[in-house]
Amino acid sequence: MTREEVVVLGIGAASPFGLGCGPLWDGIASSATGIRPLELFDVSEERTHIAGAVPGAPEALPHERPLTRVEWLALSAADEALEGAGLRQLRASVGSEIGVYWGSSTGAMREGEIELLEPKLEPGLSDRSRFEGQPIGTVAGLLASRLGSFGAVETIASACSASTMAIHAAMLELQAGGHEIVLAGGADSLCRVTYSGFNSLRALCPQPARPFRLGRNGLSLGEGAGALVLATRGFAERQGIPVMARLTGAASTCDAYHMTAPEPSGARLADAMDQALAQARLTGGEVGAVVAHGTGTPHNDAAEARAFARLFGPEGKVPPVLAPKGAVGHLLGAAGALEAVLSVLCLVHGVVPCSAGDGEIDPDAMAPVGIAGGPARPLLHPVVVSVNLAFGGANCALVFEVEG
Amino acid sequence: MSGSSEYRVVVSGVGTVGAHGTNLEALRRSLEGGLPVLTAVDRSEGFHRKTCATSAIRLKDGALHGLLSPRLARRMSPASRMAVAAAHLAVASAGCDAGSVAGSRTSVVLGTAFGTPDFTQRLLQQIRDTGPQSASPFYFMETVASAHAGQIALSLSVTGPNFTVSHREASGMLAVCKGVELIEAGLADRVLAGSVDEVTPLQHAILDAWGALARPRRSGAGLARPFDRRRSGFLVGEGSTVLLLERADIAVSRGAPVLARVAATAKGNDPTAPRASWGTAGLRLGESFARRLASRGTPVESLGRVVSGASGAIAGDLAEGAFLRGLFAGGRVPDVLAPKAVTGEYGGAFLAAALLAMKDPDWGTARWFQEADPAIGVAPTGRPTRKFPGRLLVTTLAAGGAAVGLVLDRP
Repeated sequence: MTREEVVVLGIGAASPFGLGCGPLWDGIASSATGIRPLELFDVSEERTHIAGAVPGAPEALPHERPLTRVEWLALSAADEALEGAGLRQLRASVGSEIGVYWGSSTGAMREGEIELLEPKLEPGLSDRSRFEGQPIGTVAGLLASRLGSFGAVETIASACSASTMAIHAAMLELQAGGHEIVLAGGADSLCRVTYSGFNSLRALCPQPARPFRLGRNGLSLGEGAGALVLATRGFAERQGIPVMARLTGAASTCDAYHMTAPEPSGARLADAMDQALAQARLTGGEVGAVVAHGTGTPHNDAAEARAFARLFGPEGKVPPVLAPKGAVGHLLGAAGALEAVLSVLCLVHGVVPCSAGDGEIDPDAMAPVGIAGGPARPLLHPVVVSVNLAFGGANCALVFEVEG
Repeated sequence: MSGSSEYRVVVSGVGTVGAHGTNLEALRRSLEGGLPVLTAVDRSEGFHRKTCATSAIRLKDGALHGLLSPRLARRMSPASRMAVAAAHLAVASAGCDAGSVAGSRTSVVLGTAFGTPDFTQRLLQQIRDTGPQSASPFYFMETVASAHAGQIALSLSVTGPNFTVSHREASGMLAVCKGVELIEAGLADRVLAGSVDEVTPLQHAILDAWGALARPRRSGAGLARPFDRRRSGFLVGEGSTVLLLERADIAVSRGAPVLARVAATAKGNDPTAPRASWGTAGLRLGESFARRLASRGTPVESLGRVVSGASGAIAGDLAEGAFLRGLFAGGRVPDVLAPKAVTGEYGGAFLAAALLAMKDPDWGTARWFQEADPAIGVAPTGRPTRKFPGRLLVTTLAAGGAAVGLVLDRP
């Protein structure tokens, strides 16, 4: 079966560096960190006190209901991606048939949890509207509604791989001919459940996370969104829309090993990367960079590094690795989408920035993340692989290639 | 999307747990009885209003006894236990042993409307009452919506793609569609696909505050009355149903019991839907689905029965009626079944009921349906009497806009 080629027409981001791909790339390229003391809610009684919060706050759209925080992040990224892809052309040409494939782990948990954390004064819910945005699919529905779309709308809620898998699902849909164009991505906002929850696992680091570094001791949470307008090659050509990059491979696997810990050998993650590369008809030696999951926890990074070694061979053959979670934090369900955006940006700029994070690189990790602040490394092969792992063992890998 | 002149995917197993019991026969009896099995919801936590819906269709205490080992069960939330039990029942009903589905060629796709509200609430109450440092790692582990799918994979050593999808009322149907897509794309030979949701007092109170639930004072006994002029909302269901979808040639070669063949799937959206209710573009959505189904070799003229996702929701049933009128373009609407009057909304028993509808069902509507709503323009069938050509459409429209259709053929 000949599958439709899938291309990237637009990208958008919301990150702790601000709204837009510009601030994101500037921050990542300079190995800066957007992880700062957290002021969104009271963390004085927590073990840790920092996170990658997006500066700003949602504002009500004219004549519309107030946005939840996660809706604000999603709309910001989606609007940028659609504008980049030529929003007017898209709306005029495909009308109501844009699919929406979105990923999220917690959705609008923050707004809902306030109800439970505040003391109750009288029976009944204080504010029922707090929960209206809480079902995880709400954001995708909002995006589809704003597009006026009668096309497919799907939300993947597979924890930290959610938006990576949403992009995988979007690719499957495009290849199968169900749609010619989709908006794919993900968004998550910071909330108490995840902040206290990861602290309960002793998984949060008091300082900004240092993925793949010696002595790393945990992750930093973050929030944000990533969005990509994906289309078939035929659609892009017919519409005359410039192509930013190609999405040539995607694969998902499951560890079936433990609910919160990755399978130590990295075998199933390596399988996902291997399958994605096979779909792209590439070998490990043709990969120019890896955008790693790299949470900064000892177990995650070790398992991931073993997966890299399985795929690329022994030390020295692993291509440059970008581990952005020391810069933006772990965006949970949005992590994969933001990292997919970063993969495209690496291709567009032709370089792999050094990763934020203090300290020497762990020699056992075998992940060349670069020295923070060091010069960006040239992308020797125009291929970037982006990977994510999740609670429950869900792994997903994406392969992006330069256009042309 | 899917659709083909040759069948590539069949349903070869089903596991269902809910108020009806833990097997398909128990659900059939429940549907034939025509009334839901209602349980009072605990309102002592103070989330409910003074005048509110009072009951839900819940799993009975001890219903999963013997289905899961205590060692396995104690590591799971109540919802994960339901999902894992349903998955194991699905595997067994397909004539497989648990070991035979292990490995990378089996996938899990589970839909959930609300994820894990029980453990999420417990975690937040811990944080509120005794401080964030008292938060339980066990509770947190199971707060992610994908915990159920992860637990299924873990319990059966299934290492293929593991998806969790969530779009309120459409979650389970979307999961089945995604499972079909994975097999059609060659990414899996078998998929455990289905739905799970639990009912908590808080979740029940939230739905009631939205005006979504059937009200005791306005519709007699607090029944859901899909398509009825007097409907006042739906009943919340709890449970899990998991289908074993299988590549058709593999199922045939191993002599598997085939419950249904998947002829086509279709997905869409009503962009007029507000985030917590249904939209007003059902007619156009139905017309759009008709085109999609026709392009996939399953024109609406070939549909002999509809298993409707109408639940008794006031706006939802209006949308469903418009959708069906648009789908059949003003022509004859075939027999319409509305099992959610008995199964309730959420919890997946609707999926199992759709399989039961492949045979000539004896589901009377008399117990809950009395008066057609002219604004809907579609009424459910009592006991189907028309000759059934063997092809039915299962529909679901969700609050927020998502819409899913699944065309099944009798084997």
